[in-house]
Amino acid sequence: MTTRNPTDWKSDVMRRRIARRYGAERRFRLLGLAAVLVSAGFLAFLLISMVGNGIRGFTRTEILVPIDFSTAPMVVDPATLKGANADQALANAGLPNVTNLAAIAAFGPKGDELLSPNAWLTVRDAIKADPSILGKKETLALPSSTAIDLAAKSKGSPEAEAAYAKLAQANAVSTGFNASFLTASDATDPTQVGIWGAFKGSLLTMLVTLALSFPVGVATALYLEEYAPKTWWTDIIEVSINNLAAVPSIIFGLLGLSIFLNLLDFPRSAALVGGMTLALMTMPVIVIAGRNAIKAVPPSIRDAALGVGASPVQVVFHHVLPLALPGILTGTIIGMARALGETAPLLMIGMRAFIATPPGGVTDPATVLPVQIFLWSDEVSKGFVEKTSAAIIVLLAFLLAMNGLAIYLRNKFEKRW
Amino acid sequence: MLLLGLAVVAWVVARARATRLQTAAPKGAMHSLPSYHGWYVALWALLPACLFLAVWTNVMPGLVTGSVLENPAASALPEDSFSRGAILAEARAIAQGKQAAAFNPLAQPLVQPYRDAQSRFATGGVILSLILAFAGAAYAFTRMRTDFRARTRVERLVMGTLLLASLIAIITTVGIVASLLWESLRFFSMVNPIDFLFGTKWSPQSAALGYGNDDAFGAVPLFWGTIFIGAIIAMAVAIPLGLMSAIYLTQYASSTTRKWMKPILEVLAGVPTVVYGYFAALTIAPALRDLAVGVGIHGASSESALAAGLVMGVMIIPFVSSMADDSIAAVPQAMRDGSLAMGATTSETIKRVLIPAALPGVVGGVLLAVSRAIGETMIVVMAAGLAANLTLNPFSSVTTVTTQIVQLLTGDQEFDSAKTLAAFALGLVLFIVTLLLNIVALRVVKKYREAYE
Repeated sequence: MTTRNPTDWKSDVMRRRIARRYGAERRFRLLGLAAVLVSAGFLAFLLISMVGNGIRGFTRTEILVPIDFSTAPMVVDPATLKGANADQALANAGLPNVTNLAAIAAFGPKGDELLSPNAWLTVRDAIKADPSILGKKETLALPSSTAIDLAAKSKGSPEAEAAYAKLAQANAVSTGFNASFLTASDATDPTQVGIWGAFKGSLLTMLVTLALSFPVGVATALYLEEYAPKTWWTDIIEVSINNLAAVPSIIFGLLGLSIFLNLLDFPRSAALVGGMTLALMTMPVIVIAGRNAIKAVPPSIRDAALGVGASPVQVVFHHVLPLALPGILTGTIIGMARALGETAPLLMIGMRAFIATPPGGVTDPATVLPVQIFLWSDEVSKGFVEKTSAAIIVLLAFLLAMNGLAIYLRNKFEKRW
Repeated sequence: MLLLGLAVVAWVVARARATRLQTAAPKGAMHSLPSYHGWYVALWALLPACLFLAVWTNVMPGLVTGSVLENPAASALPEDSFSRGAILAEARAIAQGKQAAAFNPLAQPLVQPYRDAQSRFATGGVILSLILAFAGAAYAFTRMRTDFRARTRVERLVMGTLLLASLIAIITTVGIVASLLWESLRFFSMVNPIDFLFGTKWSPQSAALGYGNDDAFGAVPLFWGTIFIGAIIAMAVAIPLGLMSAIYLTQYASSTTRKWMKPILEVLAGVPTVVYGYFAALTIAPALRDLAVGVGIHGASSESALAAGLVMGVMIIPFVSSMADDSIAAVPQAMRDGSLAMGATTSETIKRVLIPAALPGVVGGVLLAVSRAIGETMIVVMAAGLAANLTLNPFSSVTTVTTQIVQLLTGDQEFDSAKTLAAFALGLVLFIVTLLLNIVALRVVKKYREAYE
């Protein structure tokens, strides 16, 4: 017969074993911490590299060009500057030529190549702002060409670097805020591009998406959660909504292409079709969020309302829906944020055209911010790198604002019953 | 606009009348509140007129064309329907102001009749719909009595609207399946499905150039690329990082850390994919290529499977992490307490008790993550390249199903070529695979949940 002695916890074997087990514990814990930090570090790396690249996209290099308007070969009637046709009058007055001649006079025979082809627009705006400079000699800060801009941001070609060094020596360069980046549309020259066109396209598309997906999504959620009888029919609706939420976005693009464009013959590249496609994608998100919000309203509220004689429709529209609305709104904002960042389905329905004017309505050809980012990222010219990153910053800022709003709403209206 | 105004007027008038009825009637005799009578009348004013307008806008072009054809100027039109239709379309475009001048001289004399007919029918439509609105409102108004059940009727309509809205989900699903199936069938009438599913050579460009469809649409390299990036490389990143993050945040981290780190990780899922794609193409891919060249790996390309897979894996982290979080939280507390009470350390409890118990949930989550990853488009479009290679080398360029869909459908658009239809066949495959993955994943998760409840 063997007798079992109690374990000697103080023995060397046991001490070693415990040390080993505690070591494993520490290593495991560190591994977990490392996983969190790596993930967060990746996010930080992504954001920093985007901001680092993109912040220069908001600035532009300007060259100080003295222009002597009194001797310039142009004829402008000061009276026309007051009217609505001022832009036209100044464009016809040979302003581009004047600007180029001034640059040549200031910086030698190739001086006009230092300036952006759109530099004369700045001159035009200066004249409009203060017509009295027309008789004087004035030094204006004009946007530089892409090559000089890149050289100023220290990654240009050797010739441009040399030209920039010469300008810098003459104290003729400055860095200004690139306002046209926020107000202009797509262009072929990276110094002239802007995001306003794409931004407006995004706004219009989101408007269509919201107008379609919100009412339908809320109505579906209400029906499924409050009224639907438990039948196979309701099951089919539920299954298809859950499936739609998991279908890859590009499939919605294929749907939009074959149904909206080929079958129903809607205009290509339009915000209307983009919004409809995204609405189909966003609707399941709203339905699922809406159902959860409706589920969270306690049954006692419904019972009380029914008890004082409200009809089922009155119960829902007078009591359940107002109480569930903050939750539904939060889900809607999150769904809209997802739709705002979506690219692939919009590529499918042709919203990738080069569009140099902002869309005027939902049926005009338009592009959206993410697609614009995709298009610019394909550009060969080096100047587009910072523009792409800058556009990404704008997009991320918007998404962050939307998500922040959603979190704020959730915290403000969240109710524990 | 006019109709809406009319409906508002109808609502106000009917409500006022119902209020008078209510005060006149003995207490409790009125069935519905006055505003329900108002709604009832307003809906009667609005709905028939709107329905009529909807039908009218669809029918009107045909009526207009018919009346233009009766015009003597139309007798000069050519007989065959094609050129006749072209001239009519041109005249219509001019009449509507979409086009400035006619190319075809025959179109010019038709412009004025077109304009006349259009304005005639448009006014007619408006007047008819107004009459309908008045008639509807009058009919509803005459039915108003103290015992009239206006509320029941209005509510029935509300319920119908809700039901209709919920049908849109089904219509969408049917639309997806039908459009994918239809276009795919057209594709498979040109290309043998066996060749498509099991062929190993993918070169739709050569098919478009007229070298024949055999042999050009073998999708195996695409499937392999998709699996290689989405299911192997991305998961190799996302599963360890996501799972360990979930474990650390739920089991070890202080509540303050959790409060801050969880949203930060969730931001990773909120970054648009086009941003990830740009990041992968601009930063990660060149760095990896330099690395590969540095250690002497051949065939390193600037668009590599590894770059796309890595970034996609990072995108999936929060997804895996939240699924793991849920399934670990669903393990009964008693099991953890039991293990700890036996003297196991926390990590031993996690490794030997929590993870085995939560495994079905984690596996389900991973399957969902895979279905997300293989349907992901922009990252692979921007970072993985277009070369359909059947390779195991993560540094070389591979292509995926989604990349090829985008590639095939952007650019020239002729909808009868096998090239564009192939995109729909690929889409069908993608749809079926993601659907199966989701169904299996939900099954697994559901079954496991039941086991503990």
